[in-house]
Amino acid sequence: MNTIKLVCRNLFRRKGRFVFTLLGISIGMASFVALLSLGGSMRGEVTRQAQAMGANFMIMPEDICVFNLIAIVTGETISESLPHEIFERIEVLDGITVIPHLTQKAAVKDVPSVIVGILPEETRSFREWEMEEGEYFAYQDENAVVIGSDFAERRGLNVGDEVTIRNEQFTVKGMLAPNHSNDDMTVFLPLSVAQRLFEKEGVISYMSAKVDDMAKMEQYEAAIVAVANVQVATDEQLLGSVLAILGSVNITLQLVAAVALIAAAFGIINTMMTAVYERRREIGILRAIGGKRRDVFRVFMLESGLYGLFGGIAGVIIGLSAAVFAGEFISQIGANDLLKGASPQAGVDVSVIVTAVLFSLTVSIGAGLYPAWKAAKLTPVEAISYE
Amino acid sequence: MNKSIIKTENLEKIYGKSKVKTHALKGVNMEIPQGSFSCIIGTSGHGKSTLMHLIGGLDKPTAGKVFIDDVNISDLSDNKLSCLRAKKIGFVFQFFNLLQNLTALENIQTAMMFGRGSPRRQSGFAHERQRALELLELVGLSDKANAKPNEMSGGQQQRVSIARALANDPDILLMDEPTGNLDSKSEKEVLEHIFKIHKTGKTVVIVTHNKELAAQAEMVFEIKDGTLSIT
Repeated sequence: MNTIKLVCRNLFRRKGRFVFTLLGISIGMASFVALLSLGGSMRGEVTRQAQAMGANFMIMPEDICVFNLIAIVTGETISESLPHEIFERIEVLDGITVIPHLTQKAAVKDVPSVIVGILPEETRSFREWEMEEGEYFAYQDENAVVIGSDFAERRGLNVGDEVTIRNEQFTVKGMLAPNHSNDDMTVFLPLSVAQRLFEKEGVISYMSAKVDDMAKMEQYEAAIVAVANVQVATDEQLLGSVLAILGSVNITLQLVAAVALIAAAFGIINTMMTAVYERRREIGILRAIGGKRRDVFRVFMLESGLYGLFGGIAGVIIGLSAAVFAGEFISQIGANDLLKGASPQAGVDVSVIVTAVLFSLTVSIGAGLYPAWKAAKLTPVEAISYE
Repeated sequence: MNKSIIKTENLEKIYGKSKVKTHALKGVNMEIPQGSFSCIIGTSGHGKSTLMHLIGGLDKPTAGKVFIDDVNISDLSDNKLSCLRAKKIGFVFQFFNLLQNLTALENIQTAMMFGRGSPRRQSGFAHERQRALELLELVGLSDKANAKPNEMSGGQQQRVSIARALANDPDILLMDEPTGNLDSKSEKEVLEHIFKIHKTGKTVVIVTHNKELAAQAEMVFEIKDGTLSIT
């Protein structure tokens, strides 16, 4: 016989109570893990998207709001827009290569999808795209679409198929090779066609730019601001702003999850206090046969800790499953790949698992302190005389 | 006569800290020789169990001293009292007080867990298991090693309780109404085992109402209104 065996026997004695207490901490931990995992996935995805843009900086409307910053990084549509002539003014500046984007959203095969208008040749060389299947646009005003590989797979589209966008038919001319960015989930149209289709003639959403000499960034920025009323942000600045916003969102979500966990901790305290009162006589027996106060304390602390350990493990499993499910679900309903990183292919973050289990253990050990102290404080006579 | 293994000096116990106080023991002096068979008798509420709790180190006296093997246990820390109970004293209670979720064997092994380091017996799980099985055999319950208390009769539970009391080979066995909750057949069986164990040299002290049992004791103490007399 040893303490662990004794503790396990106690723990599984009242199976119903064990299961319900465990559920409390598991659900608390699951929400914590799910939000932590989704948050981590969002950070990873945003970083990946920003890198995949291949730009040194972005040129955006001057008063762009924070949500649109995220939208640019993740390839979503943005509400503010720029006059097309600004692109023409910046395009001629020395040392800068710039491409315009018009991002819009429309139903494709009855699912909301991101449609991006581009200058075909310029964008292809800027983004270094390669084709998976079919062919790329042959000329600027071609009435066809090129689609990302994930988009093709999810919508069941092949090269040569017809798609309807805003009541107009387009042929799928080609499919881009996957580059693990938002391009994989996007429908591309020549800019002029997109502007006509969405009634946005003479308007673009934002621009991506590359410079010949990174050391002259400040000069380039000054030159751009001198010719146009726009905001310039390097990809690092943009990424930093977006990650800061995501960080705030994550902390808020985790605080919500922490409340669930605190509620679960009180569940453990309640269970353990009930156990102390119910098992007073048993505590008395242990003391009578030679158990020290610290032995009794250890028994109750271990019981509480095992709730944390089992609850933490169950919470991690449920939480990660929920994160995967939620990521896929959000991705599908919103045509939003921001949470794609939460999919199983992204792998499991070991640090999240370890943090969650340790946190669960800490919370449950903390919750067990008072009941264990109460149990250890009982004198053998008062405990054994308890009817 | 053997030397005293249990001795009390002017033992007092008062319960309650408010205005209503109960004077449970009033200056009790007693000496119990090593290897003797003693009974403490008296009517309910007159301090029998209180006296047993004090000499067993389960409670501390309000005044006076308790000596076990010439050591004043009234001044011992809680930890040292626990060690004393684990290694020198075995308890048997009226309501058996077995741990309900453990088997007979595990109940005995639990007591051994607290008595590790005792010079009287070998440690190690294999030794403990073997000794626990031998103790069950001693009380005639080899076939109940894996039975839980609710699968045994009252008499069988009390015999397991006796085996548990012997787990760490203590010098003293303190029994509080060991047959008080048994039918006459079980009572006879349990008493037979108690006499058998006493013959191995253990000091046995039994708190009882049972006059027939007391008649077989070498020493009988009667307690009345907290005052002790030898009969």
